[in-house]
Amino acid sequence: MPAQFFKKLAVVSPLLLLGLAGCATAPEEKVSLLEQVRSRGELRCGISGRLPGFSYLTTEGTYTGLDTDICRAVAAATLGNPDKVDYTQLTAAQRFTALSSGEIDLLSRNTTQTLSRDSGGGNGLTFAPVVFYDGQGVLVRKDSGVTTLEGLEGESFCVGGGTTTERNLNDVMQARGIPFEPVKFETPQEREQAYLDGRCAAITADRSSLNSSRSGFEAPDEHVILDEGLSKEPLAPATVDGDDQWADAVRWIVYGLMSAEEQGITQDNIDERVASATSGADQENAALRRFLGIEGDLGGKLGLPNDFVVQAVRAVGNYGEIYNRHLGPDTATFIPRGLNAIYTEGGLHYAPPFN
Amino acid sequence: MAESPRSSPRSRQLLLRIRRGLFASPLDTLITVVLAVVCGGGLWNLFHWAFLQADWAVVLSNVRLYFNGNFPVSQIWRSWSWLGLLGALCILTLMPSRLLPPVVVRLLPLLWVLILPIGLLLLASGLGLEPVKSRFWGGLQLSLLLTLGTILMSLPLGILMALARRSSLPLLRWLTTGYIELMRGMPLIAVLFFGQLMIPLFLPEGWTLNRVLRAVLSLGFFMAAYMAEDVRGGLQSIPKTQLEAARSLGLSPLLTVALVELPQALRTALPALANQCVASMQNTSLLAYLGLIELLGISRSILANPDYLGRHLEVYIWLALLYWAVCILMTSLARRLERTLKVNGHH
Repeated sequence: MPAQFFKKLAVVSPLLLLGLAGCATAPEEKVSLLEQVRSRGELRCGISGRLPGFSYLTTEGTYTGLDTDICRAVAAATLGNPDKVDYTQLTAAQRFTALSSGEIDLLSRNTTQTLSRDSGGGNGLTFAPVVFYDGQGVLVRKDSGVTTLEGLEGESFCVGGGTTTERNLNDVMQARGIPFEPVKFETPQEREQAYLDGRCAAITADRSSLNSSRSGFEAPDEHVILDEGLSKEPLAPATVDGDDQWADAVRWIVYGLMSAEEQGITQDNIDERVASATSGADQENAALRRFLGIEGDLGGKLGLPNDFVVQAVRAVGNYGEIYNRHLGPDTATFIPRGLNAIYTEGGLHYAPPFN
Repeated sequence: MAESPRSSPRSRQLLLRIRRGLFASPLDTLITVVLAVVCGGGLWNLFHWAFLQADWAVVLSNVRLYFNGNFPVSQIWRSWSWLGLLGALCILTLMPSRLLPPVVVRLLPLLWVLILPIGLLLLASGLGLEPVKSRFWGGLQLSLLLTLGTILMSLPLGILMALARRSSLPLLRWLTTGYIELMRGMPLIAVLFFGQLMIPLFLPEGWTLNRVLRAVLSLGFFMAAYMAEDVRGGLQSIPKTQLEAARSLGLSPLLTVALVELPQALRTALPALANQCVASMQNTSLLAYLGLIELLGISRSILANPDYLGRHLEVYIWLALLYWAVCILMTSLARRLERTLKVNGHH
């Protein structure tokens, strides 16, 4: 019986190896994701789906938020239709694998741009321009009168355990010689509840997350976020390393949204502006005509339609409109624009020239 | 008043029982009063919160999302009809069998096996219906789909492994024992992470395995190890004399397993197996931490809607009720099956 078994094995194993080799060989000519997205007719976008203001489910069952509007803008610019997006909810742990295994084309999931995530030796991503400058902040009760970190000497902080948030807090407080007591929690809800129950004097987390926590409180006005920041968290969409054509396209679509805000081009006036640049008052404005794709071949150089900015702005508005729709003063998740204003208004969003 | 001669003997008896049970001694009275105050206070607070402070809009406006996920609205009848079929099947199974035509009773097991393919056909389709991608499956519907998929995969696999573990072929025995011990030695969440994160990396480029399928595979392979042990327990309860009797009757080993061992083993293992099935329903909620929008996952997405910020308590109480209802249904189905088998077993 064993002899027979080994004989069989001897016959079968080369076949098995052959089969495996067949799977491994023939890495076809790499087709850029831009081409794949277009032939598929759909953009696969990875989102959080659980972050107020950035991506969440509406009562109608559709995703909305700042992060999802970036997906919609990219779909509009590449496919001419902002609704052709296939959203996948991803957790923090899954997001990079999903990108590198090709499960998604674009990651638009409040991801902080860092060296190790960008580098080939790390997660091997390529980052698009930052779409939201976040940073770790501290939320305290207004009636505590605390305005600086020094005012929290010896107090306890509610913080997510084992996160970079906790490390940042330790680093900053140690560097400034302020003693404090961390109280660790697994989820934001536990953190909030503990803070509201008075178990700690302050919560620390990313400002965007603090803001949505505060909006959920019974009396949001009784709490303030300190001006001081503990860290830099530039959140940017990302694509996989080594696909420059796709990365360039995404990068310039995002820049297009910012540049549109700078030039005062909005969802409402875009058709007017196009008409005026085609055969109206702006007929002589070559820069605008190039930007809107009326002359030149800027889009074509990226492998996009020349009017890709027009498509994107028509679908979701310019960057400022997207921001105000989800994080503006009329929303429950209001975050003052601060660093997120366009550079002409004192912020950091600065799109290079469309030349 | 209790002593009044008019009160019927029955209510007198009740009062007597209450007094004997709850107020027999001063200590008993004290315990009763304290417990009543504590429980009453708790209940009063709960009702006060539920009817005056809670805002149930987060549940009421999103009922469709909890049940069907973000299934396309134009196709939503498919999702409802599957849930409806499942519900009807539960009712049919729980009804006393003498009220049903015998054909239906005989068809029930088949229907239970078919309900998953029917569900897949209705939800994903392609055959005549507009295809709906699995990313649109969510909510309770996805939780149930995952549960059914897991059970239908792990039960046969578990039975096979239980038999293999007792096999006389050493290689087979070692392999299954190794597998079962490996799976039982790992936390489920690690297996699920492996399924969701590592499998896509190992697949050849260009291949993708649907996330729902990946989830069912990881859950199924995990649960199968536990099911195998339950079935093995059932197998061990069979006296050796029966096997000897089967052999002396001239039954082949295969027939011995099929006709003598398994029917008895499964009947013995049934309570334990039912336990695993309920556990596998609850285990699906872990997938919320892996980005699937099953019941818990979709609730977290709904909670991110700025309109419902901070409404966690309402949502989690609603979820507790839903999970409880489903699990109670599953346990009553299991009890029903137990009774049926017992009756048949005595024939």
